[in-house]
Amino acid sequence: MKQTPDIKPIATALLVAPAAILMFGVFVLPFLFLVVLSFWSQVPGSLGMDPTFTLANYARIISDSYYLGGLWTTLWLSGLVTLICLILALPLARWIVLHAKRTKGLLIGLCILPLVCGALLPTLGLVNLLSPLGFINGALKSMGLIKTSLPLLGNIAGVSIGLVQAFLPLMILPLISTIERIPHDYEKAAMSLGATRLVVWRRVLLPLMLPGIVAGSLLVFCASLTAFVTPQILGQGKVVTFASLAYQQAAMVLDWPFASALGMVMLLFLALAGILGALVSRGLGRGS
Amino acid sequence: MTSRFGKAMLLAAVVAILLFLLAPILVLILSAFDSGNIFRFPPRALSFRWFETALNHSEYRSSLWISTVLGLISTVVAVGLASLAAFGLVRGKPSYRLAMEVLLLAPLTLPLVVWAIALLSIYAQLGINGTLPGLILAHVTITMPFAARIMIATFDEIDPNLEAAAKSLGASPWQVVRRITLPLARPGLLSSTAIAFLVSFNDVVVTTLIAGAGWITFPVRTFSRLRTEGIDPTTIAIGAMIVAFTILVIVLGQRLFQLSRRF
Amino acid sequence: MKRIACYAALTAVSLFPCLPALAQDYSGRTLVVGTWGGDIERLLREHVAGPLEAKTGAKVEFLLGGSGDRMSKMVAERNNPTMDVTFQNIYEAPAALKESLVVAPDTALVPTAADVWAGMNDGCYAMSLVGLGIAYSKALFPEAPEWADLWKEEFKGKMAYAPYPSSEGDGMLAVAARIAGVSERDPDAAFAKLAELGAPVLSYSSLDEVFTLMDAGEIAAAPMISGYVLSNLENYEGIGFVFPKAPGPVLVRDMVCQVANSPEPELAQMFIDLALSVETQTAYAKELNFGPTNSKVELTEEEAARVINTPEEVTSLLQLDWSYVIEQRSDWTDRWNKQILGQ
Repeated sequence: MKQTPDIKPIATALLVAPAAILMFGVFVLPFLFLVVLSFWSQVPGSLGMDPTFTLANYARIISDSYYLGGLWTTLWLSGLVTLICLILALPLARWIVLHAKRTKGLLIGLCILPLVCGALLPTLGLVNLLSPLGFINGALKSMGLIKTSLPLLGNIAGVSIGLVQAFLPLMILPLISTIERIPHDYEKAAMSLGATRLVVWRRVLLPLMLPGIVAGSLLVFCASLTAFVTPQILGQGKVVTFASLAYQQAAMVLDWPFASALGMVMLLFLALAGILGALVSRGLGRGS
Repeated sequence: MTSRFGKAMLLAAVVAILLFLLAPILVLILSAFDSGNIFRFPPRALSFRWFETALNHSEYRSSLWISTVLGLISTVVAVGLASLAAFGLVRGKPSYRLAMEVLLLAPLTLPLVVWAIALLSIYAQLGINGTLPGLILAHVTITMPFAARIMIATFDEIDPNLEAAAKSLGASPWQVVRRITLPLARPGLLSSTAIAFLVSFNDVVVTTLIAGAGWITFPVRTFSRLRTEGIDPTTIAIGAMIVAFTILVIVLGQRLFQLSRRF
Repeated sequence: MKRIACYAALTAVSLFPCLPALAQDYSGRTLVVGTWGGDIERLLREHVAGPLEAKTGAKVEFLLGGSGDRMSKMVAERNNPTMDVTFQNIYEAPAALKESLVVAPDTALVPTAADVWAGMNDGCYAMSLVGLGIAYSKALFPEAPEWADLWKEEFKGKMAYAPYPSSEGDGMLAVAARIAGVSERDPDAAFAKLAELGAPVLSYSSLDEVFTLMDAGEIAAAPMISGYVLSNLENYEGIGFVFPKAPGPVLVRDMVCQVANSPEPELAQMFIDLALSVETQTAYAKELNFGPTNSKVELTEEEAARVINTPEEVTSLLQLDWSYVIEQRSDWTDRWNKQILGQ
């Protein structure tokens, strides 16, 4: 149902135009170049590119379980990271909004601290902690809980831990803004009407927090999808992610057509997922 | 009773999560005091030598300066443009809202290395490769999705009735923006500024390819010797100093400007 | 008016041929050099950029990153290069020349290049000689290993590799091929033999990662390039490095290239000239353990023992057909991803 706008269409267009022009010029144009590039091919044994139209790059990706597997790993890794971020951010955001009156700024600052010194340094610190000789394994061993070191690096576990630490702020900040908007009375009112905690969460709080949850989840998911430095170091080259595949092909093998094709295939996956998500949420919307 | 227990449980969860989040930072800060030549934790002997080196190292200083300046400019532009666009999309309710949102979020969907190479080729055709404006445009583009998403959510949550009420009381559009909209949007503005700055500050892949020789940023410099020589302990000392500086800024901001209330 | 004054000055200068070349003033011009960060940048600043700036009044700026990033930059910026000088790997230089991205070595323009060992200026000018040897954990190898020792059953799955594509990876493949009795031109055999070592413990992104684990015995060995390892040995007591004999270490060269159509070709040539000079090459050898390519460099016995610096040593090295190797880059990357890492 189209609602009436609050400002005139011409004003809307003017407000939106600068960002649109920038994105079009700086992002879309190179993107179109990449689309074209994905149908070219690298001249074998050379750095030059052959512009004759070919579907060879796409065929190579679709027919090779290595590449499909890498894309799939990236997708569900990003989903996992998003879920974990959500689970961790909710209590943190609620505390910050509801209970931390004077320490709010400090707590938010602590949340963004991992990002402050760069993606690289906390990752190296994490390598140190998760290493077979590192602190965590050492502590667990000295407590007698394990005999041999747990492999926490070079697999999905290590990479997700690193990504969660890196991107938790992206989930927390939108959640904080959203939770602040919810009047405190709603919760109390619902409970005074006899609703259990669970029902209050499901029927009152979660729907009200939805814009923040969606904003945060989208950011964390997409940031995890294209993250390169952290998965490369924590995955120790053994976790095949989309960004590392693209980097290898683009900047090391210098097969730009193939790297572009990888990007396009991932985009296709994302578009499909987006459409699926939209259908599901519309279905859910109709249900309730 | 339950609410007190619930509160205690929540606090426990919060402390655990914060410890999890900050553990690597603690490792970093402690190993910055190690006297050896390499990154080592736990530190075997303590010394300030890496801090001294960091303060005297002009190349790291200049790269930090470049990162900061680049980050500030890109952030101001990105948050500014994103806020304008977000306001327009939310209040104007145009039919192209979804398409525009997709456009604003688009950079998050591609591996940036491929896009950066394509951008560099285009810049080379235009003759602006290696220039600062080219680099700024690239950084604005990669930070825009974050700023846009947060600002759209922010404006979505501001009750338009408040603005309508002010207008009906005779306020001019500019007054409405200044007195009602902006104050209500402040948390979102702060969030998107912080995140946009951090995204720009931390970028390695795009900057390595796009930046000209006079614009080597801190992460690019740190990363460039990683594989051949490992991490320079000076970098760790710098990281520790940045962390300390940030905490200082926050605590001061708390005391002097009561940051918590404004956030 | 200004023009006339300019012409007058030039005429005056040309009438005095004995005026030193210092009359050439490059102040206000900038030379852009692409290189790896860390000690290499430091040495170049000290021994090349500093003197060059003092001599010409120009400014030298460095672009930092990996060699692959610089190759991408050269290709993407082909129409409008911003880099004047770039340091590349042994396999990238011939490819860059083939694509006309760099200027072919010319001893007329870079006089010191004539002092470089014969045949090394392949594609670009040869900057340093290093060898791919074995960095090993002393705990697991009481005696320095030979290449063949790595294939013993007890070390399976305990290797570490650099991310592929890399000269370490290609070198290791060539060694595996030789051990299997073939050459690198038989990739099926080479990869099969290398896969026998098992999946690596890690593909390292930073030197500290691999050294910490090797020091503690979690990693048995890794094919590594001599220069950096030797410099780091003093920090890790549990690690040793050796140049094996059968086959010998793999020859790897760092190359310095003059980018084609760059903004400052003359400054670039002067930079390369200084980089290849005895003074810079000696500093490289002393501080980084990189073998000098300049035949006129003289080192003490102790220094010479750690680097490759004589033609005899060079001939004992395993030389790959790098132009063949780089042609297979795409195919070998796929094979490496699946057969070596994906085990």
